[in-house]
Amino acid sequence: MTTLTAWLTDPNPKSRRQARLGQAWLAWLRLRRNPPAVSGALIVLVLLALAAFAPLFATHDPFVQNLSQRLLPPGTPGHWLGTDDFGRDIWSRIVYGARITLYIVTLVVVTAPVLGLLIGTIAGYFGGWVDLVLMRLTDIFLAFPRLILALALVAVLGPGIINAVLAIALTAWPPYARVARAETLTVRTSDYIAAVRLQGAGAGRIIWGHVVPMCLPSVIIRVTLDMAGVILIAAGLGFLGLGVQPPLPEWGLMIASGRKFLFEQWWVATMPGLAIFTVSLGFNLLGDGLRDVLDPRSESR
Amino acid sequence: MPEFLEIDDLSVTFTGQGREVQAVRNVSLKVRERESYGLVGESGSGKSTILRAICGLAPMSGGAIRIGGVPVPTPRGRAFSAQVQMVFQDPYASLHPRHTIDRTLSEPLAIHGLRGSDDRVIRALKDVGLPANFRFRYPHQLSGGQRQRVAIARALMLKPKIMLLDEPTSALDASVQAEVLNLLTSLRDEHGLTFLMVSHDLAVIDHMCDRILVMQNGAAVEELSREDLAAARMKTEYARSLFEASADRFMEQGLQG
Amino acid sequence: MSLLAVENLRVTFMTETGPVEAVRGASFSLGRERLGIVGESGSGKTMTGRAVLRLIRPPGRIEADRMEFDGIDLIRASERKMRALRGPRIAMVMQDPKYSLNPVMKVGAQMTEGLRRRDRLGRAEARTKAVAALEAVQIRDPDRVMEAYPHELSGGMGQRVMIAMMLIPGPDLLIADEPTSALDVTVQAEVLSILDDLVRQRGMGLIFISHDLRLVARFCDRVLVMYRGRIVEELAAKDLLAAKHPYTKGLLNCLPRIGGPRGLLPGLDRSGEWARA
Repeated sequence: MTTLTAWLTDPNPKSRRQARLGQAWLAWLRLRRNPPAVSGALIVLVLLALAAFAPLFATHDPFVQNLSQRLLPPGTPGHWLGTDDFGRDIWSRIVYGARITLYIVTLVVVTAPVLGLLIGTIAGYFGGWVDLVLMRLTDIFLAFPRLILALALVAVLGPGIINAVLAIALTAWPPYARVARAETLTVRTSDYIAAVRLQGAGAGRIIWGHVVPMCLPSVIIRVTLDMAGVILIAAGLGFLGLGVQPPLPEWGLMIASGRKFLFEQWWVATMPGLAIFTVSLGFNLLGDGLRDVLDPRSESR
Repeated sequence: MPEFLEIDDLSVTFTGQGREVQAVRNVSLKVRERESYGLVGESGSGKSTILRAICGLAPMSGGAIRIGGVPVPTPRGRAFSAQVQMVFQDPYASLHPRHTIDRTLSEPLAIHGLRGSDDRVIRALKDVGLPANFRFRYPHQLSGGQRQRVAIARALMLKPKIMLLDEPTSALDASVQAEVLNLLTSLRDEHGLTFLMVSHDLAVIDHMCDRILVMQNGAAVEELSREDLAAARMKTEYARSLFEASADRFMEQGLQG
Repeated sequence: MSLLAVENLRVTFMTETGPVEAVRGASFSLGRERLGIVGESGSGKTMTGRAVLRLIRPPGRIEADRMEFDGIDLIRASERKMRALRGPRIAMVMQDPKYSLNPVMKVGAQMTEGLRRRDRLGRAEARTKAVAALEAVQIRDPDRVMEAYPHELSGGMGQRVMIAMMLIPGPDLLIADEPTSALDVTVQAEVLSILDDLVRQRGMGLIFISHDLRLVARFCDRVLVMYRGRIVEELAAKDLLAAKHPYTKGLLNCLPRIGGPRGLLPGLDRSGEWARA
């Protein structure tokens, strides 16, 4: 263990990999000093574990209906979070639902921020009319309320997980483009960009190799802070019946089905609601902590 | 000796928010091969803008720049970057904060498709007096002087003929300044470099350069040889006031007067 | 009688890698004179100046056997008392006026704010005082400067405004931290001579912090040379060329001189016993 730490904190790394891992180790040390961020990271880790080992954590099959055991309250032996109106175990459904949530989150993460980052850095780096066109396009997308735009898209494309993700991604990129552009504008005039331009580098290399790494931290922070919103929109689409389709155990969908007995059998809607709340909170705390860890401006000390 | 770098009637005009600011007005200068030429002046005199205009980082509104008699192309292109490189003033701002020294130094080789990157990076570090085990450090793990050495190494990676030095030591401590100036001197001799150096410090310019152009408000005021400067033979009032205000004159007056 | 007496001053910062001592046992005293503190970056000269005003934020800690200003114990004084000292009795001028002046407030408003709040002066009276202060730093058109925003002023002008502002309450001690480093050489000379006149006329004490030995030697009566948090040499400015400490000598020698020899500059040899202490 000590030799590993020594290797990680070696001021003179022997290879690119060691240098990079050393930086990651330092980032982790900084994150560790921020208890809310650590609890956020823990929640996200638990979510990951639940999704990865869902069959181990689930006590029942999430799809099997048992009408003799309808609407059992939490604490019932064998169903510690109770059952829903088809007699399905709510805990098992939440555990399997984590997979769907993570699936949606992951798909959004690999699409919206990447698109936003590209558009933002290109607009910021080139400036002029390129900037004008791209940013007005961004403004148009920003002008629509997100859920409404997503609804419209799903209405055109038809309901389903992939279409829901597509709709969310298409509505989520503009803020990233804004963030990336703002960051690019400050980076663009810096001496290190002038230096690499002076070495004959083309725009593609400069944007990808030199500008994007500087924008990445703010975008990553923004992504984790937005994750809660993405989960909620996905849940919202599910709730409206436009996202994931039954009988899949998507959390928003579960809330929607519990709505009917909200007053008598409150747990049916509340349990998945709590799951959404916890995971959103986790991502928010993590994002807040990452802001301290990744923000280049905080690296001065 | 032939004129190597010629600047002919150069003007630079920045336009922003409907206003035009002429940063450089009709400046001409000629630098011979392996000569060191200094530009000196106060802030806003346009001295750094001339360097940036040579590199295509500032908009030329008039005049011509020639290297070896050939006008420089616009955009400058790769052939130009193999010929002319620049060292910036602030070593904290001129290295990419998220790239290792290795990446910073191998980038020019990658851009120009040159091979043998590993050997050349190690050799470059050695040339500027940095230990080889600094290779995978990040800029924030280096002191100001060490960073400036990296910046110099980066400028030398493409084996340029002309080095543009924009206040390369003004952000450094006196003892570190001496080390960096010494490094520049020995590299100049070793690689047969031509220097065009900008500074507000007459003593630094005098130490490094053969000829000096004094600038004020974007215009050339007076060209001085090193001998003229040492003997205080300046013709214009402004050049004299700069000379009188120079810090090392302070001491002579203060301590001997 | 000395205005300021400091004995065994220590400034320590707690960092991830353990405590870092920025100032390690500095002792000096100051009368109504001009004292220069010189050193390279990281020598603790700025921290020494700030410690006198207790302007060091946690995780920084100030300790001293004695730190007295005009009979007031600065170590044990309450924060309230320190606030009353900062400004009226001890003033500070920082390096770059760009960062010391509020960018969205007119110069006149910034200058009169303290007068009107603290001294409860009327608008007209405060203005008269501010204009007089600007005139004292040889600003020729004080009325225009009063109406200007900081970004509309040149560096030299901004620094003069800062000095004028600091001098309005008539402090007994002025701490100037690299007050001219951001300025052009010709402006630098002007600002220094203004500062010099003011200090002489008002009989103030001055601590002049700078990295430039030559400047300090020209401008101060006494010079403290700091290296890595310690005062390595104290000498009268006129004796600077006869400095004995190898660090002081090295600092002087490594500067290029107009008309000096070409070759390589003598570097600063840090292999001596002094550099490790």
